[in-house]
Amino acid sequence: MILFLRRTFPLILTFLFGVAGALQYYIPHPVSEAALTEVSVWLRIILGFAMILGIASLCHVHYAKIRTRVAGWGYSLVVYLSMMITVVVGVWSRGQEEGTGFGWIYTYALLALQGTMFAMLGFFVASAAFRAFRARSKEAAVLLVAAILMMFGRVPLGEYLIPMAGPVAGWLLSVVNTAARRGILIGISLGGIAMSVKIIFGIERSYLGGRD
Amino acid sequence: MAGKLLRMDRRVIFVLIALATLIPLLRPIGLPIRISPEVKQVYDYIESLPPGSVFLLSLDFDPASKPELYPMAVALLNHAFKRDLRVIGMTLWVTGTGMAEKVVSGIASEHGKRRGVDYTFLGYSPGGTNVIINMGQDLAAAFPTDHYGERTADLPVMRGVTSLRQVNYVVSLAAGTPGVESWYVYGKEKYGFELGGGVTAVIAPGLYPFLDTGQINGLIGGLRGAAEYEILVGLKGKAVAGMDAQSATHFIIIGLILLCNLFYFLTPRVGSRSVGRAQNRPGSPREAGR
Repeated sequence: MILFLRRTFPLILTFLFGVAGALQYYIPHPVSEAALTEVSVWLRIILGFAMILGIASLCHVHYAKIRTRVAGWGYSLVVYLSMMITVVVGVWSRGQEEGTGFGWIYTYALLALQGTMFAMLGFFVASAAFRAFRARSKEAAVLLVAAILMMFGRVPLGEYLIPMAGPVAGWLLSVVNTAARRGILIGISLGGIAMSVKIIFGIERSYLGGRD
Repeated sequence: MAGKLLRMDRRVIFVLIALATLIPLLRPIGLPIRISPEVKQVYDYIESLPPGSVFLLSLDFDPASKPELYPMAVALLNHAFKRDLRVIGMTLWVTGTGMAEKVVSGIASEHGKRRGVDYTFLGYSPGGTNVIINMGQDLAAAFPTDHYGERTADLPVMRGVTSLRQVNYVVSLAAGTPGVESWYVYGKEKYGFELGGGVTAVIAPGLYPFLDTGQINGLIGGLRGAAEYEILVGLKGKAVAGMDAQSATHFIIIGLILLCNLFYFLTPRVGSRSVGRAQNRPGSPREAGR
């Protein structure tokens, strides 16, 4: 019975929902549409539980770091404190942002911190470009030239100095880049389809947790 | 000498970038900005919509991408309200909710638009891409109430809009997934609305295949795209102001790359360059320390 619940039942469910989901797309009958409406609500509820699972996992990982005093455990403590303060203030403010402590945390802590993290990227990109962007091989040289053309052509100063720089950058984006991206997209899509078929037919079972 | 310069303290580079950002922001030059066809296509489509058409703006980003995507939201909302479109705002990113609400309600009040009548902000609903499917099937089921607690089905702005099939134009301003691709795969493909995209400069190149095939009808990419849209709507804002700073930083980076390669090739080939290479390999303790 345990084996049935752990392995066979999830495989049956996966097969049924996988096949039904694929067929539904091609059968726009009212019954099929009603079923899709219902399933889309279920999926959102299940994802809500996944969020709880994620929070539990986050707590577990950081608790282990604090308990074993690994290097940087203080940051884990900051995670706990920030999360607890945000939850308590959020519940106290009933989730409302306007003129509440929750809104203050959002505007003056989260917004500022996330903005700062992203802004720092610019500095590290410049430093990394200086250290690593070298024409060590022909391929690296091609990449280097393309990157310089793009950086030159996508800013007003570049186009002001060399008017052709803009259209050249545009051509690189819409022709060379598109061709490469299209190849990658086709590869990813074919891989996705192959993996979906393997999961639906129970060939790929790693999502069951690796137990047989 | 060249080897020494190659091992330049990275704080020097940080100072250069800081100056290249700050000086143009304080003393802007205002260089002309060329309008690219992909941005013009979004503008033209909104221009072609008759007043009263339904425009859904999904602000799928968090505060980290605010400098690039917020000016796009401001420009698009100004355009939509000028054209008297019915505006529906929403987000698929929970951390973007407050920011998205502020921009939608803020621009609406500047145009004297009434909440619930001329516009609404649906807020955030969990489920990522499933929210799009849910909205396509039954919008009121995905968002029974808007962000302010009003019943969605009773709002005058939502009159005649029961699903995504009745939406005339959707623009997703996205910093990742769920974003423009999700709106195409789970939304436009099945429910048939027209779709445009506004994304950060990092992910814009990945969307050009969708633009080429008409899967999205226009694309606003990065701060540059936002600046172009600001010019199109005649409202020079933060994006246009930031373009001089972007010009300067791009040129600093180009200069650094050229210098780096110059020093690299000036370094003696057999001895010191190979030693330097081993010591400065990305990930090595020495490289990390600098």
